Amino acid sequence: MRNYLIDSEKNEYIVDLSKTRTHSAEMVEFEFRTIKDNLEIHKENVFIRKLADQYFASTDGVRWNKVARQDSPSIMLNVDKVYKFYQGYKPSSAGGADEGGLFTQMPGKIVKIMAAVGDHVTKGQTLIILEAMKMENEIKCGTSGIVKAIHVKAGDALENGILMMEVEAEAE
Amino acid sequence: MITKSESLHKRILIINRGEIAARIAKACRELGHTAVGVWTDNEVQAKHLEVCDEWVRLPGSTNQETYLNIPNILEVCKKYQIDGVHPGYGFLSENTEFSQALVDNGITWIGPHPEAVRVMGDKAVSKEFAKKVGMPVVPGSTGPVPTIAEAIKIANEIKYPILLKAVAGGGGRGMRICHNEEDVRNNFEPVQREAASAFKNPDLLVEKFIVNPHHIEVQILADKKGNVFHFFERECSIQRRHQKIVEEAPSPFIGEDEDLRQRVCNSAVNLAKAIKYDSAGTVELIMGENKEFYFLEMNTRIQVEHPITEEITGIDLIVCMIQSAFGEDLGIPSQEWIKRTGHAIECRICAEDPITMLPAPGIVTGCETNFPQGIRFDNCLYKGLVVTPDFDPMVGKLVAKGILREVAIRKMRAALDGLLVEGLKTNIPLHKVIMKNEVFLHGKYSTNFIATEKPQDQVDTSMDYSALYKKIAGIEARRMGL
Repeated sequence: MRNYLIDSEKNEYIVDLSKTRTHSAEMVEFEFRTIKDNLEIHKENVFIRKLADQYFASTDGVRWNKVARQDSPSIMLNVDKVYKFYQGYKPSSAGGADEGGLFTQMPGKIVKIMAAVGDHVTKGQTLIILEAMKMENEIKCGTSGIVKAIHVKAGDALENGILMMEVEAEAE
Repeated sequence: MITKSESLHKRILIINRGEIAARIAKACRELGHTAVGVWTDNEVQAKHLEVCDEWVRLPGSTNQETYLNIPNILEVCKKYQIDGVHPGYGFLSENTEFSQALVDNGITWIGPHPEAVRVMGDKAVSKEFAKKVGMPVVPGSTGPVPTIAEAIKIANEIKYPILLKAVAGGGGRGMRICHNEEDVRNNFEPVQREAASAFKNPDLLVEKFIVNPHHIEVQILADKKGNVFHFFERECSIQRRHQKIVEEAPSPFIGEDEDLRQRVCNSAVNLAKAIKYDSAGTVELIMGENKEFYFLEMNTRIQVEHPITEEITGIDLIVCMIQSAFGEDLGIPSQEWIKRTGHAIECRICAEDPITMLPAPGIVTGCETNFPQGIRFDNCLYKGLVVTPDFDPMVGKLVAKGILREVAIRKMRAALDGLLVEGLKTNIPLHKVIMKNEVFLHGKYSTNFIATEKPQDQVDTSMDYSALYKKIAGIEARRMGL
């Protein structure tokens, strides 16, 4: 899953959830990487543990903090900076998922296609899993509608900017 | 039949918002009174309403139309059969037109009698009054100074540096430091103009400027029978834009000097007695490096930082203020009976940029607290709170109490780490720096602390990746149904 943090000066941080490892029914490990200007600038694993219907997070498995109950936020805060936060897609990107056409944003290999032609899909739903830069990326639907066409299949190796799927937006 | 005034149960209108409205409502309920809260269309989910018994909507969109609208508030009082009005701080808390109108309508004003507010509300008059009753005042002009020549003459008598300040000024506006005659010539007219536009009164005072001053204030509590008590002092020297951000009680500058503490507190009591004070109030003093102190002003209302005094003395100032207003006994046998233990610190949590210290409005998207024992958090925070530029950016007051000052600081650090406010900028990172500053730890700071120590420059602004990853991981774990 790819996350975008964009500050008021349009600086962009890409935070990739590159690997998920399930340790047990109540513990998952996530691998995160932050990319800025096409360079990986930070990498760390986070453990999430569910206890008594609450979530706790740790980076070292020793000190745990409760995770604040928060819906997927639209902004993230870091001391004196406020970032716009987008999950899975970002607006105004060239050929982004938000227009209904799902394009590759980097070269990669299709791992799984999670919808079929004619399916009714909703905004934010994961439609394709693409392996790129040794990470699995969930390609999400930018609009609610009907899957009109699928141009790829699992196992395909694709170049950047390839149209993978088309979703016809439905009137609200 | 029991008439309104004979009944023990009272209906109290709280004409304020945020944490102080909630604080007052809790005190009303504790005493068995009915807390009537107000709200406006600008803050429909207002948290303080949760602790009120009844609610009144104030029509209008600006503060002038709502919280400051005296005719409408008087109407509300009649319509809802209000026995007493608590103004909190700010808004109408020091407005004698309002308190007089209430008294004239047979409604109890939960605050001091209007004459005390009138005298203390005017800097020149209050200073003259203080001087008359034997309280030391900062050397300076005895009244407004009409000309530059007059200002220079006084400056030469009291020696530079001097302060030019507006008679009606406050909050740091309408004042300028002058180090020599040239400064006076250059600043006199600009300050006059600033005073005229900001306070509609161009009159200026000249007074001696105290170098490295400490802001010390004494909590006063009085009843309607002439009993006046002090609840020791607070030190509020850490200020930005002449507004306090960190306060502590007792003052680390006075420290173990009990003789000085007694002199400071007794002088405040004498002043309050002289004005026949009959409510909660604060006498503010300025103390120089040589521990000589001077009267600054008297705040004739409950103050933002009152919790630290409550923490070290065990008194409930708001409850006592209400009891006093209705002529009841405060239950305090003597001054000697009032004791203090330990040390309390307050950090004002404001929606502002921690570096520039300027208000940063926004929406609170989440709030979590994880505090050690000894923490009190008076706040109006909730998920969805919209902090608008119309209101003060303060959203909460974090108060730590410890048996020793070091313990209170340790608890405050842990509490700041455990206070998570999402969605808008706060000064929490700035407080974290202050709580580790050497000068602060030694308790030797003056009101120049922010200017000379510059804690804002030490705030770590680098991206906290771990915190960011944890937030995203939390969202992801919920999404995948862990």
